[in-house]
Amino acid sequence: MTRLVRVELLRLRLRRAVLLLLVLAVVIPAVIFAARVWDTRTVDDADVLADNYYAVDDCLQHPRRYGLERDAPDLQVVCEEMVVRDYSLRQPLSLASERGGSGLGVVAVLVAILFLLGTTFVGHDWNSGSMSNQLLFEPRRGRIWAAKATAVGLVSFVVAAVVSLAYWLGLYAVMGLRDLAVADGALLDSLAYGVRGAAFATAAALGGLALTMLFRSTVATIGVLFVVSVAGGLFIGVLGVGERWQPPKNVSAIVKNGTEYWVTVPQSCYQRRQPQPVEEGSSCDDTRDLTLLQGSLYYGLPLLGAGAASVLSFRRRDV
Amino acid sequence: MRTDDEGQRVTDLVIETSGLRKEFTSRKGRRVAVQGLDLAVPAGGVHGFLGPNGSGKTTTIRMLLGLARATRGEMRLFGQPVPRSLPDVIGKVGAVVESPKFAPNFTGRQNLLLLARSIGIPDSRVAAAVETVGLTGRDQDRFKSYSLGMKQRLAIAATLLKEPRLLILDEPTNGLDPAGIREIRDTIRTLGESGVTVLLSSHILAEVQQVCTSATIIGNGRLLASGTVEQLLGEGTSYRVAVPDAAAATAVLTAADLSCVAAPDGGGLLVETDDPAAVTRALAGAGIWLTELTPLRPDLETFFLQLTAADNLGTSTERDAR
Repeated sequence: MTRLVRVELLRLRLRRAVLLLLVLAVVIPAVIFAARVWDTRTVDDADVLADNYYAVDDCLQHPRRYGLERDAPDLQVVCEEMVVRDYSLRQPLSLASERGGSGLGVVAVLVAILFLLGTTFVGHDWNSGSMSNQLLFEPRRGRIWAAKATAVGLVSFVVAAVVSLAYWLGLYAVMGLRDLAVADGALLDSLAYGVRGAAFATAAALGGLALTMLFRSTVATIGVLFVVSVAGGLFIGVLGVGERWQPPKNVSAIVKNGTEYWVTVPQSCYQRRQPQPVEEGSSCDDTRDLTLLQGSLYYGLPLLGAGAASVLSFRRRDV
Repeated sequence: MRTDDEGQRVTDLVIETSGLRKEFTSRKGRRVAVQGLDLAVPAGGVHGFLGPNGSGKTTTIRMLLGLARATRGEMRLFGQPVPRSLPDVIGKVGAVVESPKFAPNFTGRQNLLLLARSIGIPDSRVAAAVETVGLTGRDQDRFKSYSLGMKQRLAIAATLLKEPRLLILDEPTNGLDPAGIREIRDTIRTLGESGVTVLLSSHILAEVQQVCTSATIIGNGRLLASGTVEQLLGEGTSYRVAVPDAAAATAVLTAADLSCVAAPDGGGLLVETDDPAAVTRALAGAGIWLTELTPLRPDLETFFLQLTAADNLGTSTERDAR
């Protein structure tokens, strides 16, 4: 088995499409990282004046609109301070806020790229017909499937984990350089977030592999996934499926180690004469917890189903 | 049946099938590709596997190699039941099934390395196999840049990686130039003489007659004939008979229970018999004097065409509505 896994790792390394995807898995998060570092750069006076020149000018021209007297002393300085305070929307870098924003973006990028990696890796075997050649050397199909899945899983997890951890450590380092305070445990939380994101991206890669071994075509797998996502979106939209069952919310539950979702509460909850505190978990509580386990089951069960169907099909169908 | 020290069955047959059947089902219904095929390939030599297009040759080979599942029947390679014991015997079997299939963007050498390493064959064997098929110098080129002949050679190189005791070749000379065809035929002949059993599936009957020591002919998924090439050709002794009135002679010979048809080249009649005196006796008895009675040296092509034509007249492919 180890020998087969090594062969599949070599096959992965020789595939140019796979190498390209791995490069993208590094470059795109690096671009997101650079963008976040740039967008959260420290605000200085020149920056403020350059960005908010018109607002300062407007303040000087029409001070009454800003609650200032025209003959107020140091009107220029007062206007600039006001603009700095009120008009600059640039937030300082924070690990906690990135976990709810760009962190999810990095996970989404890794999921998409590694799904493609899983599907294109085995899709190539089917498209070229070389799968039958492989079976002429190792007829135990279960082993072939497992070796390919192990190779894809290993490479995906290592790449996703390295990229994720580098992303969070990079943000932490930038915060240090900017003398920004880091909350206790924030770095550890972010690294754990990165590992969970890497695990989710690895699962996506294995899902891509399993579906392609089932459909025996990269195009068919991507096509089916596209149809399912469009049909699923319509289904959710038309039937008004609750937030609990929406895919992005469950991704959040996995990578954030649990999240909250909104539920519709009875109209009577809003018609009380005197507002009363809402008891957690009661019928009037409009937020519920979505745990890591629930999110994992949401994606894990279909993944297991696809994996089982894929293995059974590969073992039984003619090649 | 003999058994070895470990109780395993020992047989002189390298390939055996019994009652082998393969059905394909589709929306159009069920198609039977192989029906009750009994195949026996003895150890050593080159065994031809003949049949018209769609007769079930490739399907049979694919079932033997575990690429397709048999609907019914039993198969054995080296006396071991397959597909159950295929992992035990696959190391002794090299095969090229249909067209060569490799990763197009990998070099020939990379493709062979991946296959070799999957069963622990040392890398040094790759170079030897490449040299054997004459691909040295081109093995670092991508597979997609190869000509069809080079692709065939690479496929044969892949079969040689295992140093097989059974080589299954499905149309191995397809797309090769005349020199390449001769090389491959020589290679096959040499392998057969060295003790390797070669199952050669081919449409080129002259090739089979030149290279093979024995052959099996199938049609519509059934066994039509099997034996050594000499045995097969011996079954079809025919004579060319020239007479002034072919129609009258045909009637007389048919009445005398002699099988006869008009020669395809228009040169008289072809009569199937082991007793040429019966021809002269029947015709002379009817007052027809023949001007030529020539024994025809039978060739595999004639025998094959007669067999498969008769098979097509007698039966048609079974096709059931679902």
